[in-house]
Amino acid sequence: MIDVKDLKKTFPGGVEAVRGVTFQVKRGEFFGFLGPNGAGKSTTINMLVGLVKKTSGSVVIGGHDLDHKPIEIYKQIGFAMQEIGLDETATAREMLQLHGRLYHMPKVQIEAQIEKLLKLVELEKVADRYCSTYSGGMRRRFDLALSLIHEPDVLFLDEPTQGLDPHARQLIWGHLRELNAMGMTIFLTTHFMDEAETLCHRIAMMDKGQIVTEGTLEELLAKHQAKTLEEIFLSTTGSDLGQEDVNPNAPDPYARTRG
Amino acid sequence: MRNFVSDWFYLSARCTKQIWRPLLALIPSLFIPIFFFFVNANSLGAIAKSPGFPNVSYRDFIAPVAMFTAVFFSAGNAGIEMVQDISNGYFKKLMIMPINRLAILLGRLTEVAIQAVMQGLIVLVLLLAVGVNFRTGFFGIISIFVILILFAMAWSCVSMIAALRTQNARLVQSMFVIVFPFLYITTSQAPKSLLSPTFRVLSSYNPVTYVIEGVRALVISGWSDPAIPEAFATVVVLFLILVVFTLASFQKAMK
Repeated sequence: MIDVKDLKKTFPGGVEAVRGVTFQVKRGEFFGFLGPNGAGKSTTINMLVGLVKKTSGSVVIGGHDLDHKPIEIYKQIGFAMQEIGLDETATAREMLQLHGRLYHMPKVQIEAQIEKLLKLVELEKVADRYCSTYSGGMRRRFDLALSLIHEPDVLFLDEPTQGLDPHARQLIWGHLRELNAMGMTIFLTTHFMDEAETLCHRIAMMDKGQIVTEGTLEELLAKHQAKTLEEIFLSTTGSDLGQEDVNPNAPDPYARTRG
Repeated sequence: MRNFVSDWFYLSARCTKQIWRPLLALIPSLFIPIFFFFVNANSLGAIAKSPGFPNVSYRDFIAPVAMFTAVFFSAGNAGIEMVQDISNGYFKKLMIMPINRLAILLGRLTEVAIQAVMQGLIVLVLLLAVGVNFRTGFFGIISIFVILILFAMAWSCVSMIAALRTQNARLVQSMFVIVFPFLYITTSQAPKSLLSPTFRVLSSYNPVTYVIEGVRALVISGWSDPAIPEAFATVVVLFLILVVFTLASFQKAMK
């Protein structure tokens, strides 16, 4: 379903965020992408959906090459990003309606899907309130619903439970398991070991822009002679705390005034 | 093509709702032109008796400026709304949808056009209520609106370019100060013959001068005034140039 070959990203200024990543995700698989902060997970997922331009390599999703048929890919994917982008001046229902229309769905299908999704993420009672009034957990849940409006074949999730309390995490995990059981392919980036252990069929660990190990949980434990995923994580990835690069993608409005 | 039109329609509807959410945000851009119109019309009325001043009241002379200013101040909101979408991540959501990116830009421009009409109409009603006489009549008023809409869309492109290039809300918001030199280094307050030589030269390089002169001609002169086609030409050229630059900034924003 997802076929990535030798994917690289070097940002202007020479920062090599991703250094030749290759992997495949099968249809219906729950694939976990783990790594410490600054490992290149978010850059990779953003390249997979075309939000960050790749330097080289190829990305094929659902048989379509990202370079040649991005629109075909956009029809098939949903993406719940790390930064929850909501229209603060709209209600949840209005946003879902708008997104359904932008995916060119029939009106009847949009309305049915809205009811189903609001129920799924338990936001039916607040659907007509402005998104700006939602708590952090509600926003995450709603963002997940928004990424599912067009019933995508592939769901990309970038740290979907970041900043959530245990109850909200369990709720989201339950939804993700359900979606995957219904046949949806899920690509998840996380740095929570328990999340990957609980949800993912297969896991790839990334460090300093490269995949350092990959396999099912059982395969990884056997390969690294470890008892937990955390042990593997600590032995295969180095902590770069204090040495991470700044986000090279963010514009620097002060660049010209700095000496 | 059908999908493109439908995307444009729904994105325009989304942007247009932002005009009155919250409703109070509309007030400053209406208050400023109306305030200056009444203050200037009452305090500077004597200018109309100066030699070289057209044979109209000062109130009628500055009436077009009130309509123009309302549009000028609010057109920058498009950039502020765009930078909000960028900074909270919503813009990225739009970029990975199966929609034509031109529809995103056209959605914003449609919002600007609708807001220009709404604000222009409110100021127009006030001007008619205080007795301002539009010499070119109904079709002159329509022409004024066409000029104002094109100018508003062009000016909104400036704020959207700033939004796309800097992605910084404070920078985009502070851009409204640019309105003042563009508005006052013109013939907005007095005819060219009464300006100082320096201001006369500077105003002739300011495209806003030609827009104001054209709108004014539609109020106080008549269809034969050459300032009218000059104003149309100015706003069309400005609009086309700035739309091209905005589209280029759109592409550049996706690294």
